[in-house]
Amino acid sequence: MQPSRREDLRLIQGTGHYTADWNQPGQLYGYVLRSPEAHADIVSLNVEPARAFPGVVKVMTFADVEAAGFKSLVGGVAPNVKGVGDSAMKKPFYPVLADKKVQYVGQAVAYVIAETAAIAQDASEAIEIEYSQLPPTVTVEDSLADGAPQLHADIPGNVGFVYERGDAAAVDEQFKRAKYTSKIHLESQRLIVNPMEPRACLAVYHADEDRYTLYSSSQGIVNMRNQVSTVTGIPQAKLEIIADDVGGSFGIRSTPYPEYMVSLLAAKQLGKPIKWVGTRTDSFLSDYHGRALELNGEIAIDENGRFLAFRWDDRVDLGGYAGGNGAFIGTNNLTITCGGVYDVAALYARTRLIYTNTTPISAYRGAGRPDIAFAIERLVDQACHDHGLDPVETRRKNFVKAAQMPYKTPLGTTYDCGDFAAVMDDALAQADWAGFAGRKAASEKAGKLRGIGFATFLEASGGGNTPSDQTAARFDAKGDVTIYCAAGASGQGHETTFISLFAKELGITEDGIGYRASDSNMAVVGNGTGGSRTLLGQGSSFKLLAQKVIEKATPHAAEALGVTADAVSYAGGSFSAGGKSVGLRELAKKLASAAAAHPFDCGAEGTFGVTFPNGCHVAEVEFDPVTGVAEIASYAAVDDLGNVMQPTLVLGQVHGGVVQGAGQVFGEHAVYDRESGQFLTASFMDYTMPRAATVPLAMKWRGHAVPTKTNLLGAKGVGESGCSGSLPALMNAVMNALRPMGIDNMQMPITAAKVWQALQASEGGAAVRKAA
Amino acid sequence: MYALNYQRAKSLDEAVKLLGAEPEAKLMAGGQTLIPTLKARLAQPSHLIDLARVAELKGIEVKDGVLIIGAMSKHYEVMTSAVVQKAIPGLANMASLIGDLQVRNMGTMGGSIANNDPAADYPAGVLAHNVTIVTNKREIKADDYFQGMFATALEEGEIIIKLLWPLPKKSAYSKFEHPASGYAMAGTCIAQLADGSVRVGVTGAGSSGAFRWTEAEEALAKSFSLKALEGLKVDPETCLGDLHAPPEYRAHLVGVMAKRALEKML
Repeated sequence: MQPSRREDLRLIQGTGHYTADWNQPGQLYGYVLRSPEAHADIVSLNVEPARAFPGVVKVMTFADVEAAGFKSLVGGVAPNVKGVGDSAMKKPFYPVLADKKVQYVGQAVAYVIAETAAIAQDASEAIEIEYSQLPPTVTVEDSLADGAPQLHADIPGNVGFVYERGDAAAVDEQFKRAKYTSKIHLESQRLIVNPMEPRACLAVYHADEDRYTLYSSSQGIVNMRNQVSTVTGIPQAKLEIIADDVGGSFGIRSTPYPEYMVSLLAAKQLGKPIKWVGTRTDSFLSDYHGRALELNGEIAIDENGRFLAFRWDDRVDLGGYAGGNGAFIGTNNLTITCGGVYDVAALYARTRLIYTNTTPISAYRGAGRPDIAFAIERLVDQACHDHGLDPVETRRKNFVKAAQMPYKTPLGTTYDCGDFAAVMDDALAQADWAGFAGRKAASEKAGKLRGIGFATFLEASGGGNTPSDQTAARFDAKGDVTIYCAAGASGQGHETTFISLFAKELGITEDGIGYRASDSNMAVVGNGTGGSRTLLGQGSSFKLLAQKVIEKATPHAAEALGVTADAVSYAGGSFSAGGKSVGLRELAKKLASAAAAHPFDCGAEGTFGVTFPNGCHVAEVEFDPVTGVAEIASYAAVDDLGNVMQPTLVLGQVHGGVVQGAGQVFGEHAVYDRESGQFLTASFMDYTMPRAATVPLAMKWRGHAVPTKTNLLGAKGVGESGCSGSLPALMNAVMNALRPMGIDNMQMPITAAKVWQALQASEGGAAVRKAA
Repeated sequence: MYALNYQRAKSLDEAVKLLGAEPEAKLMAGGQTLIPTLKARLAQPSHLIDLARVAELKGIEVKDGVLIIGAMSKHYEVMTSAVVQKAIPGLANMASLIGDLQVRNMGTMGGSIANNDPAADYPAGVLAHNVTIVTNKREIKADDYFQGMFATALEEGEIIIKLLWPLPKKSAYSKFEHPASGYAMAGTCIAQLADGSVRVGVTGAGSSGAFRWTEAEEALAKSFSLKALEGLKVDPETCLGDLHAPPEYRAHLVGVMAKRALEKML
């Protein structure tokens, strides 16, 4: 059987190149000594005993990175983003290795380099560090409390930034005229991202050329090179970054980590390649964590059931420092679509970004967008329940209508297209919404509590931070072609998708087409993989590239056919004129020469806008009231992803997103001890990952395409919609099942123990227990 | 993992000799708990003595109304053994619930019992079936064997050779899996022994490891029925409470698992 993706044979046969698979002759090995303390002053640090260890080559501390002139790790909002009162974000210096103080368990303190990884680890235990413990704060609530421990001397109250968006006065006006209001408090709990491939790097310094190569997993070269350069001072032109295969990223592989920087420094200082391979424990402690958001929403509704306004007051846990994309999530991403699919008069959101003694936060599959989608749909559902409004018809009444597109929200975001009512109707039909009562009765008969929930959501995908997406084509002496872009895949199947797209566009077969991503030797810039944008951005650019190749080849074809260029037409991989024809591949081969660049070599670029993938996910959840165990009884989704290029890969994306959403709803939770600040869920023994059986095998999905004109493919982002749809759909189903028991709100994760306890305490639960 | 000396014993005598030769030596059965512990540097034995090739510790047979299981029998062997499936089907089922496929293909009954993890499955079965643990030095009754979390009656230099499972009239085990680790959050094993007595072993829930739920035993001895279990509850004071579940929940689950085990037997 042939695997369905080009990548798969390589990956399943173990012949892929993940970071740890790379080696260089004479390489040394690094080991990171991490802070065991949540919040402490480093009173003394003596690395001499480790230096004296046989086989140890070097031990690095803050003094080394300071001497090298290293800057702070990159994070925080962009400098042009201002907070309330035109304030700038308070961003502490985030040292590559801890300086005088540690702010979270797992923070990198020292780096030991030795002949083997085992020696480096053994020697690290000889390092003498005296910590003076400080009281920690590991929740935003504790960080904001009077007399809270202060993480950073120049950030009193631990508040890094207060951001607002929208018109507070206009929202107040709408609330004054509202007939109904509802509010909700929700937590999108801290998660461990857990890509399959733990973090690793191999740093090489080429002394003869004063140039570096860094092998490390990444989502795209531009951000990585940019940030490594910013921190270390190594010019971007002297830094090559190689990431062939990446075993999952989800947002946390888009920016560099301390080990990469110190390894580059050591590689130069020692003249030897430095390899570091993290363990799963390193991942738990020091990969950026995800989510950690608290959302407080209010909705105003008029006497006819029309939504008037949403008001948000959200709190964002940044962790010990502003790293990665944490601040961007807490500002832009939480607010850009904070009115969802609804046509409202006014929107206002305030978010406060807070420092805590925890691992810093960055992007995790959706990066704030699933969280706000979740919050909107939970709030709407709560409001419908509070005021006896029909959840289907109320949503329908309030949707931005297809006829209103393009629709500008009160925040100025423009939704270009979408047909939310059609998508909802399609989804409810697929889920047999109307037949729920029968299924609920059957569950009741079996002693189970069944609930149904749905969500009509939208997210902004495709915004990037580089000015354009470039691609390039290079033909070799055989006339074969390799195509290049800047984004890096971490499981998405870019190789399959882009080769297929390029070949189809040219009307040629896929043989002899190669694909390379993030190749530093190719001067292509472009966004990394993130925000579900690679297909619509770099894919559109590849479409342009195919057209460029035809343009480049046309004069040569004309010459070969003995006509003028304007007489030549191109179709099905061949140029033709006057009854004669010549194939593109044939011509490419003929014109190839080892001496010069191929005349067909070319590049393309384009800037492609934000898209608004949207959908309606419907879930049914069944609880066993005896144990509190939940089961997803059914799941049916419809997504408007615009035009779909690769149906199998799209389905895989939806499934993966839904599973990650289900993981957050029912199990995952990164927990710190409030007293000691110790990290309690640092392994799979205590951190509940979703399993294959978490979701039903018969998950239903179909697309409902409303193609966008904001890119050349008509495609919208798919990568994150599974999370955005499943969080609210599943939680609305959970609450639908539990509300009749007298349970009004429950925070994720919905564990069996928590449900059982809530049922114990509730009146409805008492009745169920009696019956059972 | 700290550096250590790996030794593979080829016979029980050799294993005993190697174990006696070094004060910091440790035995390794399937290694499913020990190896992760070593990798996390939570243990630092000087010598690791691998028992995998010790023939005396293997084999599964029924003799004189007793199912004899060699200490190095893997969970997968117990689960798939036609002998076990016929003699004590509840035990084959219990083995099938341990860990995952990889763990079951490496982990052993002797290793599990010697480690006595408070959430391991076999201790509940050993208590319920009134198993006798045979070592190179003596025979130990189940009731004397478990001595609290990770603590057993095993002494220095003592190696489990086999476990003697008296054939019950019937028995069954029901387990509530810990959502993260898959270990037992509560597991209850009920055995009705040949003499008609009833024993109930509980794992996962007790704050001092596996225990016998004597109240349930007495009730079931009087009336082997679901009704007998009604209203019975393990004292939450004796149960584990942690991040994942409070003691009250575990206490409750013990009762639920008892009912579910019993349902399989009725």
